[in-house]
Parts: sequence; structure tokens; C-alpha cells
Amino acid sequence: MEQIIQTLILGIALGGVFALMGSGLSLVFGVMRIVNLAHPSLIIAGAYVTYWGFRLWGIDPLVMLPVAAVVLAGIGVLLYKLVFEREARSAKYSEMTVLLTFATAMIVEGALGFMFTNTQRVTSPGYATDAIFIGNVFIPMGQLYAGIVSLVIIGALAAFLKYSRFGNAIRATTQNRDAAELLGVNVNLVGIMSFAIGIGLAGAAGALVSFVFSFFPAKHWEWVAVLMSLVVLGGMGSILGTVLASFLLSIIAAFVGVWFGSTWSTMTFFLALFLILLVRPQGLFGEKPELA
Amino acid sequence: MTVATKSDASEGVSAVLEARKAYNIKLAASADKARSIWFPLVLMAVLLALPALQFVGNYNYVLHLVLFTACYAAMASGWNILGGFTGYISLGHNVFFAIGGYFAGMIFARYGVSTILMAPMAGILCAAVGYLIGSITLKTRGPSFIISSLALVMIARILFDHWTFVGGANGVALKANDLPVLWSKLPYYYAFVILAAFSVWASYRIKHSKFGLGLRAISKDEIKAESAGIDTRTYKVLAFAISAAFVGMAGAVWGEYLTYIRPNIFLVILVSVNLVLMCILGGKGTIAGPVIGAILITAFNEVFVATLGASELNILATGVLMVVVLLFFPLGIVGTLARNHRLPRILNWD
Repeated sequence: MEQIIQTLILGIALGGVFALMGSGLSLVFGVMRIVNLAHPSLIIAGAYVTYWGFRLWGIDPLVMLPVAAVVLAGIGVLLYKLVFEREARSAKYSEMTVLLTFATAMIVEGALGFMFTNTQRVTSPGYATDAIFIGNVFIPMGQLYAGIVSLVIIGALAAFLKYSRFGNAIRATTQNRDAAELLGVNVNLVGIMSFAIGIGLAGAAGALVSFVFSFFPAKHWEWVAVLMSLVVLGGMGSILGTVLASFLLSIIAAFVGVWFGSTWSTMTFFLALFLILLVRPQGLFGEKPELA
Repeated sequence: MTVATKSDASEGVSAVLEARKAYNIKLAASADKARSIWFPLVLMAVLLALPALQFVGNYNYVLHLVLFTACYAAMASGWNILGGFTGYISLGHNVFFAIGGYFAGMIFARYGVSTILMAPMAGILCAAVGYLIGSITLKTRGPSFIISSLALVMIARILFDHWTFVGGANGVALKANDLPVLWSKLPYYYAFVILAAFSVWASYRIKHSKFGLGLRAISKDEIKAESAGIDTRTYKVLAFAISAAFVGMAGAVWGEYLTYIRPNIFLVILVSVNLVLMCILGGKGTIAGPVIGAILITAFNEVFVATLGASELNILATGVLMVVVLLFFPLGIVGTLARNHRLPRILNWD
């Protein structure tokens, strides 16, 4: 029983971090219909921003989080302007953008590897290795903080999308781009902004990742399929779906890890991705099979 | 009177001009036909005679480059059948590279049967596995298919990393052949050159068959193709299987050439990136495209590694190259030249 609760807690804690990692991906897909394979590599870029803030000036990763988010949002705007804006009218838009984001991932990986080498890095604020014990069950503080911060950010994002005028414009564009344009939404601006917010979320997630996992530039390949499984299960474009899917899958993965060994816990995500694509390509909360 | 003669004369002139034009077209057609025979023959003769350089000095590096290019040309031509003709972009074809490599490599390690002899068997095995995987993943389309192919690589990597029978992440060392250093590359060289020639020939035959026409119809518009009576599912899955077979055959020989098989030579993302990039750079869906792409990308990698050394910069440069090609030449070299009617006849292999 204790072991089950312990596993559940570890799964939930990890799910919180994954939720933030996946939500930016989901937002970008919802608005832009771009499957951003570069998202995990940009998360790692955010982790590096946080790492150097911590390493050089001893700034706490949670304080560096907004900095990483803003830096990455800037990179996002740059990427959009340089690469994706040209493709907006392309006939094979979805395939072209997937390949372009794939190439972008390689560029980011190569640039990070060149600048910072392929050493494994991790930031180590005091709470990263701390834990609270309740009876025999322990809760790792680092993951707890990361999970709470990520839920706060996602809550703020959800409130922004629901109550602000611009958030409404973003949701309208997600639902129907042409209709939104007809009703006077500046679709192009919404595109840039949501791309920036999505990549900014990657930066924020990177700040959390920096003390929850160890990271190096090529690590993002391990995450691509993991994040894709979350976003696809949740229904591409649905942030609520992504959050629920990340808790669901992380908890399952935690149990698989305990019962069958940690190798197979990563496998959970990949097999889940496969199964979802085949059985229900629109995911849990997706409205129509956009991708199929 | 004079008017009549004038029109007679101009009629005569135009008749002569037309006759000349028709004659020129006939000449060009017969030249094309002759070229389609002599060009491949000359190219093959040069490639097959190239190892004679070893009598003059040590040109192992040159042989390695040609061999490497031929290996990738074979794989890229295979990939092109699915990615170019059918329009399904797979980032997971290195899975078949690994399956072919491991199958032939393990048989070589256990029973000493040369991988070159086992390569066709590896191809058949990969076709069978490709048929199975394709019949699952090809239910998806567009970006979903690309994502599922990526997931496939991840699954294969985990499986091979933890399969103790094939040595897990450490892999298996294979015995090097006992030919003298100058000639040790020779069997693999010929195997790859012949494999590349075979895959180019096969993709030509496929493109100009009814099957290939069906595949190209699928890449243009799958729903219309289906309603025109093409059995799109069978066609797609067969294309997947065939393309997997070529990649698997190349993988089979590649393992013995390197003298070891290990997950991180087959199942790295750079291999499938190279396949995609070669086809896109050369021209997706053309016959010459993958070969030209293979030559250029190999040269590009070689220059980068030789001058800058760092593999990170190589990754960075490959990414930049891919973005530039995708944004500015989405049809690739052969496709762009052909659209502008500037394709040299020597490169028109279609």
C-alpha cells in the first residue's frame, strides 16, 4: 500500500512537469497547426539559460524561470519570422512545417552542443535534493515545487485564454482560423503571439527541467516522442487534455517502472503514442481527427 | 501572280522548317535512348574499375567515400519510393537499417556466412517487418505518420539497447576479413555499388509501372486516388515494405564493413535525417535526386568534419542546410532545374 502511494506521488510530481512541457506544444499546434518537433530542444535551451544564471550568479532556478521564458519567447518570435511565416501559404503546410521544426531542432541541438559541450548538466538549488517524509512516504521537494509552479503557470495560461480579449482571439483562431479572420481577429498577430507564448512556455519548462532532470543538448530526442504522446493523447491543441494526459501517462509510467523496471517506463509513452494514433487519433479531447 | 509565288515560297519554307523540327525531335529522342544505354554502362564501368587505383597507391579513402555514398544512395533511393513517390515522410527508416544489420551481422557472427550473401535475405526480412509495421502506421497520415515513425525509432532503440542476445548497448564485434589492407574494402565496395545500381534501376522500374503511377496518384491526392479505384492501402503498405527492403540490404552489409553492430550506429537520428535530406536536396520523387543528394551530402559532411572537426557543428550545419533547402528549393535540385527546363539531359534519369 505504501509503495503504491509512493509511486502515485512520484508519478503525479513528474506529471506536473510534463504538463508544462507539453502545454506549449499543444498551444502552438492548436493555433498554428504546427507540430513543433523543436519544442523539446527549446526546453533544453531554456534549461541552459537557467543553468548559467544559477552557475554564474547563483540565481535560484525558480527566479530564473521568467528570464528563461522571455528569452525563449524572443527566440520564438525570431524563428517564426525567419522560418515559419514564409510557409503560411504552402500547399503541403503541415508536412513542410514538421520537417522545418525537425531541422530547427537539429540547429538548436548543434548550437547548444557547440557552445556548451555535451556534458550532462543539472542545477542544484537546496530543495532539488530535499524531501519531506510523511510516514514512510517521501515527497521529493524539487519535483513538488516544479509541479506546483507548473500548475500555477498553466492555471494562469488557462485564465488568460479564457478571460482576456486576446486569449479569446487565440481560442477563436484555434477553433476556426478563417471565421476568426472574418470576424476581425488579426490572425497573423495571434499566430506570432501564440508561437511566442508557446516557446516561452518551453523556456519556463526548461527552468523546471534544469533541477528535476539532468540534461544535455542531445537529450531532446528522448523527449520528442514522450511529449508527443502527451499532446496526442490529450487531443492536439487542447491544453486541458494535455495536462490530464500527462498526469495519466506519468502515473502509468511510474507504476510500470516499479513493476517492470525503469526501461519500460519510458516505453509506456512510446507505446501509448502508437496506440492512440491508431485507435483514436483525435485524442481524449480533440474534436475532430485533424491529423488523420 | 507575285503574291501567289510568295505564299508558295513561304509554305515551302514552313514545310521545310517543320520537317527539320520533326527530324530534330527524332534525333533528340534517339540520342536520349542511346544515352539511357551508354550513360549507366559507362558510369558502372568507371565505378567498377575504380578499385584499380589500388595498384597505383593507397586510395582506401577514395574507395571508402564512394562506398559510403553508394550505401546512402541505395538507402535514399529506397526511402524515395515511400517518401518521394507516395508522399509519406518517414523519419524511422533507420529501424530497417538496424534490422538488416543485426540479422545479417548475427548470422555472420554465429555461422560465418558472409553478410553480402545474406543481404537479399535481410532485404526480404525487412520487407516482411516493413509490411507489418506499415500496415499499422500507415493508417495515419501527414504529421501523425511522421510522429509515429519517430516513435518507432525510440521503441526500436530501447529494444535493441536491452536485448542481451545481440549484446545490448555494447553490440557485437564482427570478425574483420583477412584480405590485405589494400584490398579489404573490395567486397563491400562492389556490394554497395551493385546495391546502389540495383536500387536506382528498381526505383526507375517502379516509377514507370502501374504500381508507381498509383503511388504518385496517392501522393497527389489520396482520396481522389482511392475513388479512382486504386487500392491505396495495399499500395502504400507495399511501398513501405519495398523501401524498407532496400534500407535493410544496405544495413546488412554496413555492419560487416564496420566490423561491429551496435544500436548507436544504426539507430541514431542522423541516419534518417540524412536519408530525408538527401532526397529533399536532390529532388523527392525523381530517380536521380537521391543519388545526387547522397553525393552532395556525403561531400558536405566530409568537408565539415575535415575542416571543423566538431560533430556539433556538423549537426548545426545539416539543420541549416535542411531549412534553406526546404524554404527555397522545396522541389530539390533535380525538381527545380526540371521546372525551369534547365535540367542537363545527363541528369534526367526519369
